[in-house]
Formats: sequence, C-alpha cells, structure tokens
Amino acid sequence: MAGGQERILRRRIKSVQATRKITKAMELIAASQIARSQARIAANRPYRRGMQRIIYEAASSDPRAARKMLATPDQVETAIVVVIVGDRGLSGPYNSSALRAGDRLVHMLQHQGTRVRLVTIGKKAPAFFRFRGIDVAQSFTGIADRPTFADARLVASAVAAPFVAGDVQQVLLVATRFHSAGSQSVEVEQLLPLSMPTDLDVPTSTGLKGYTEFEPEVEDLLIELAPRALESEIFSALLEGAASFHTSQQRAMAAATDNADELGQTLSRIMNRARQDSITTEIMEIVGGAEALRSGK
Amino acid sequence: MASLKVEIVTPEAALWTGEAKGLMARSSEGEFTILPQHTSTVGDIVPGLVRVATSSGEVGFCVHGGFFQVGPDEEDGVTRATVLAGIAERVSDIDVSRAQAAQEAAEAQLSSGADLDEAARSLAAGALARAQLRLRLAAAR
Repeated sequence: MAGGQERILRRRIKSVQATRKITKAMELIAASQIARSQARIAANRPYRRGMQRIIYEAASSDPRAARKMLATPDQVETAIVVVIVGDRGLSGPYNSSALRAGDRLVHMLQHQGTRVRLVTIGKKAPAFFRFRGIDVAQSFTGIADRPTFADARLVASAVAAPFVAGDVQQVLLVATRFHSAGSQSVEVEQLLPLSMPTDLDVPTSTGLKGYTEFEPEVEDLLIELAPRALESEIFSALLEGAASFHTSQQRAMAAATDNADELGQTLSRIMNRARQDSITTEIMEIVGGAEALRSGK
Repeated sequence: MASLKVEIVTPEAALWTGEAKGLMARSSEGEFTILPQHTSTVGDIVPGLVRVATSSGEVGFCVHGGFFQVGPDEEDGVTRATVLAGIAERVSDIDVSRAQAAQEAAEAQLSSGADLDEAARSLAAGALARAQLRLRLAAAR
C-alpha cells in the first residue's frame, strides 16, 4: 500500500509548511518590534541618567539625610519581589528564566525567614507561581509588550505605598536586562531602599565633587525624588524587558522556521522515495504479468 | 565663551535639547532663572511653565512637576541645565479639546465621588490638575 503512505506524507508536509508560515511571520513581526523597543530604550536613557545623577549629587552632598532613604535595613521582615516577564509565550527562554530566577529568590528569602509579597508583571507569571504554591499579591497584565510611563507609575505606586507605610522594608526586582541585541540576562536588583547608582558615567573632575546648591534642602528633595527615581527604574526595566522579549521571540521563531525547513525537506525526500518505490513496484508487476502471459501461450 | 546647553527630557523622549540664552522656571522656593556660568544646583520644579530663551525666540514647555540640575558640561566653559519631568509637552503641542475632555471627565469622577478609593481619587485629582494647567497655558499662548 505504498500510495497510502505517500498521501500521509503529503499531508504532513503541508502542515509543516503551514506552521512554517506562521513562525516566519512571527519572526518578522518580532524583528520589527526589536528596533522599535530599542529606540524607546535609547529615548529613555537621558531621563534615567539625569535622574541617577541627581540622586548621586543629593546623596553624596548630605550622606546623613541620604542614609534614611538609601541604606538597607538590618532586619527585613517583609519584602516585595517584583518579577517582570512577558504577556505571551513562544519566546524561547525569556519567560522561564526570569520566572525561575524569581522562584529561587522567593525561596531564598523565605528560607531566611523573610515574608515575601509577590508582584508580577506579565500574563505568564501568576499561573507559574500559583502552581508552585506561591501567592501572587498583585499582578499587572497587558503592559509588558508596550509599556508606557503611566504603567510604570502604577506599578511604582503599588510597591511604594506599603514601603512608605512601613509594612515592607525592602523591594527587589527580578527582570531581564537588555545589554545589547546579542546579550540579555536576568538580574536581581534592589528598588527600595533606593540603591546608589554605581555605573554612573559622570566625569568626576567637572564639579560633581564641588559645591552644589540645593533648593529645597537635600532632605526634602530626597523625599520628593525617591518616588520619581523608583518610577524611572521600573520604567527602564519594563522597556528593557520588552526589548529582551522581542529579541528572544525573534530568535526562537527563526530557529523554529529553520527546523520547519529541515523537516519539510526530510519529509519530501521520504515521500519522493515512497513514490519512486510504488512506481517501480507497479512496473515490476506489469512486466511480471506480461512475462507470465507470454510464457503461458 | 560661556554658553548654556539646555535639555528638557521626559522618560519617553528628550523633548528639547540645544543652545540657549537662559532657562526660566519655578521651584518650590520660587521663580528662578538659569544663565550661563550658573553655579551647580539641584532642585525641584513645581507644575507650571518652563521657558527656554533661545537666540530665535522663546520656547515654552508645560511641565507637570519635575526636577532640574545645573552643572558644568564635559565641554569646557559650557553650563548644562537638565530638566527632568515625568510628564511634559511643548506649550505649542497642547491639545486643547483633549485637555477639556480630560478636565470634564476628572471633574465628573471627583464629584460623583463616594465610591472612589484613595488611589482612584488621587489619580483623578492629578489628571484634573494636569488638564487645568494645560488649558491655562494654552489660553496664554
């Protein structure tokens, strides 16, 4: 029944090709999104850097006032962990690596006796954590793909309120940082208390060490500054997360397209052989039949 | 030659950068003007009009609160003034009909009032303040 096998193979090739069309389209869409999200990161950079510079100046000119805002408390009873993942799957390891890092962090904190409140961004997170028996205190969805600054403010106010009220002593962020198109990595960073910017590219010779005037006084300024700096950090993490998501999806879909190509090729080779086999068999049968008729004469 | 470089930046984009003669705005301690050679200063900006004087006239920005920093630039003799604002736009870009609609929506939300929680109330109040500032600056342009 060689013809039957041929038909089955033909159907499979068709389905592989249809899947390939989908993965190829997703690859192209993701690729176009990468450029856009990278441009948004670039547009955000002056603001973020300016914010870090102000914090740096304020904190280094009045370390006593800064210690209240910037120092890590000795005793962390409750901590908020913010995890940023994507709203969609089919993006390679992007979601799972951030989720696993978040899971590890939560377990580590709980092991130290810290209570953890989990805040997640991205549709993929709540199910993952609920399955593992970790309560999600609050989850934001629908903002991971194209985050706006208003989204960042919303998230910031959700984590800042319990911190200001004193219910929470530390806020940690687990997110994928976008270093370049070729390299992204999941990193854990402390959001609150604010961490002193370290990778600051300010030339130390030009006045930052000198005398700086403040209006209002540093202490009052820091109180206003802290929530804005938090928003800024969350926004840039959201932007970098979106860029990482699209990069990862593009890579995953390119690989899927290649696999579909390869599978289609293998299948059509098998199908051709099956067709050849069936033709050969048919000819042999005809020749055999003719031979038999002639010898029977 | 002393000169002043002004940047007005928001999280989503740098609104304006360039050479300027001066920068005028209002902080919580009062009105101030930044000129070239201004001493290093860090401060806040209350919601209102921020004006940048350039050689080709004045550019107005509607800034809904933020911060500024003045310091020497990497380049010698250049003073850099950076305005950081969460939300800001050029006064010439203000959409009056949108601001009007936002004002009415916020007012309706605030006056309907009893079932609003704390967070929703402060959101609406913020939206109302922004809409009123936009309308005020747009009327003066």
